[in-house]
Amino acid sequence: MINILIKKELSLYFRNLNNIFLPLIFFFLIISIFPLVLGPEKTLFNKIIPGVIWITAILTTLLTSNNFFKEDFNAGIIETYLTSDVSIEIVLFIRIIVCWIFTCLPIVIFIPIVSILFDITFQSSIVILLTLVIGTPILISIGIFGSALTLGLAKNNILTPVIIIPFYIPVLIFSASAIQSVSAGLPYDMQIYILASLLTLVLPTMPYLLKYTLEISINN
Amino acid sequence: MDDALNKIEISVNSATCYKNNNLIFEDINIELKNGDFMLIIGPNGCGKTTLIKSLCGIQKLEFGNILINNLDIHSKNSEYIENIIYLGHKNSLNNDLSVQENLEYLSVFDSSVGSNNFDKIKNAMDYFNIYKYKDYMISDLSEGNRKRTSLARLVLSKKKIWLLDEPLSFLDNNILDSFVSLIKRHQANDGIVIVSTHYDFSKSISNVKYLKMETK
Amino acid sequence: MNISKIANLKFFYTKTQRISIYLSFSTFVLFCIGIYWGLFIAPEDYLQGNSYRIMYVHVPAAWLSLQTYMIMAVTAFIALVWKIKIMEIISIQCAPIGAFFTIIALVTGMIWGKPTWGTYWVWDARLTSELILLFLYIGVIVLYSSFVDKRQAIKITSLLSIIGLINIPIIHYSVEWWNTLHQGPTVTKFDKPSAHITMLLPLLYMFIVFNLYFLAVMIQRIRLGIYIREKNSKWMEDLSND
Repeated sequence: MINILIKKELSLYFRNLNNIFLPLIFFFLIISIFPLVLGPEKTLFNKIIPGVIWITAILTTLLTSNNFFKEDFNAGIIETYLTSDVSIEIVLFIRIIVCWIFTCLPIVIFIPIVSILFDITFQSSIVILLTLVIGTPILISIGIFGSALTLGLAKNNILTPVIIIPFYIPVLIFSASAIQSVSAGLPYDMQIYILASLLTLVLPTMPYLLKYTLEISINN
Repeated sequence: MDDALNKIEISVNSATCYKNNNLIFEDINIELKNGDFMLIIGPNGCGKTTLIKSLCGIQKLEFGNILINNLDIHSKNSEYIENIIYLGHKNSLNNDLSVQENLEYLSVFDSSVGSNNFDKIKNAMDYFNIYKYKDYMISDLSEGNRKRTSLARLVLSKKKIWLLDEPLSFLDNNILDSFVSLIKRHQANDGIVIVSTHYDFSKSISNVKYLKMETK
Repeated sequence: MNISKIANLKFFYTKTQRISIYLSFSTFVLFCIGIYWGLFIAPEDYLQGNSYRIMYVHVPAAWLSLQTYMIMAVTAFIALVWKIKIMEIISIQCAPIGAFFTIIALVTGMIWGKPTWGTYWVWDARLTSELILLFLYIGVIVLYSSFVDKRQAIKITSLLSIIGLINIPIIHYSVEWWNTLHQGPTVTKFDKPSAHITMLLPLLYMFIVFNLYFLAVMIQRIRLGIYIREKNSKWMEDLSND
């Protein structure tokens, strides 16, 4: 069962390679806008780069998770999920993970290039990588939850981000502070631990929450 | 052989449903047992789809209840969800997957199909004459062939209760015949079929119950 | 929509008409007394002078903004689990009231900030948390208003406010953390003035008055919510025909 689910998700992403490359290209586009707007001063970037990377990560995850269920909802697949006698939580969990692999993992992989562009030290870029690996699954999960909340609406273009961005704040604060701490030579393990505990809180509960939300969304 | 002994009684008692404070249907009463075929018939907008969704449990009722073997379908230990297969008027197919992949994927959600089901899926596609399209993407198929793909799930599934919403749209006549014989076979296997339609195709089917719905 | 629940709404609607009028009126009188007490009777603060007196509105508003969110989430939970209609109405009617308290707290905080910090806005932990709370309220309100089917809307927003309640301590903690990390030179004690009992008594009194105000507005809004939901029902028509 699980191998069919994974195979299906993978083939959907690989058949439309845009799905993989567009978030990455979007990420780089936004990142390169900052120097154009703020001017190419190196000292300034040392200070703001954690914020820049994380704001860009937010935008990317928001856009990719915004219409996560929309296509399946229109095709009637969500109804099949909810009238099925197998555990849908596993399906949802796999879909979250695969969505993360294809939208956020490329960004994580390309962080070394960002480090070169902005002259980030090796140690800082390791921490940036670490916070992204732990933090973006939380963002993706919350984003998907937001898209499930607004599923019953015909149009939800900007509504979902408005609702869920406040929920992103803790992840942002701890991630940015970890990156700032390491560049200031301070310990950053506390922030990483908090992020990790947020991840272990969000990821296992999210499939159950999503199932419940979908049930409400479909009952209109 | 277990399945043959599996007695099922569905009773719908004074079911009433509202959407956004509008009455969709009111005081619907249904009694069904193994081998029954029920036709929900009525014009557009009379609440057929909503009634079928209520019978699946994804639409909540305002008044009344739906019982299976005297247990409410929303109660915890209800066997309902293990017995139903629902085919909505949306086909529940993924446009970017082929016919075969879609059937493989959908059979994941139906535990009665079982694993290693390549032969079964081939049979199901054969039954509705879509084996030749097995590697076509759904987006490349005609509406009729999409409907056939969706109906092929019925050949695969061993579920007792079929809930079909407008299964006839876009189907031509020779497929209709094989669809009717599929229903007869299911009735003979003690299955229950509930169909919403605007066209009465039940001439050659026995044990038919009608539910005529009116626009409110 | 079973019979007992309709009766419950009807009971509430017919019984509270008088009460809400008395309550609103007495709240107004008590509020005026409290304002007079806070502005004229309470002694001047030796550090902040008279500007601290805005605390008599700011602090109760800030407390109530949090308390209202808690009530909203708890009633949302009850509404989702036990499907009690009046709880649904209470929960969704909390959102605009809570947003109002939050705005009051923010505005009074800014007014207090001008003489104290020399600027209307400082990104200190309290004001920032309050601002995020406002965003959470706005999220609930816009989500509710974008659904046409209000019964689905209420379930969806209930879910959002429950998740929000789980999040508030996390957000609060993270904002505190963020604030201590970026501590500027302008940190002052606002909620803990060099407390003297003659200063704290009016504060406590205002807190109670704000709660009464909440209750008065809530009852009015519940009545409005019941009216909107039941306007087509028979008992409501009978009532308006009388």
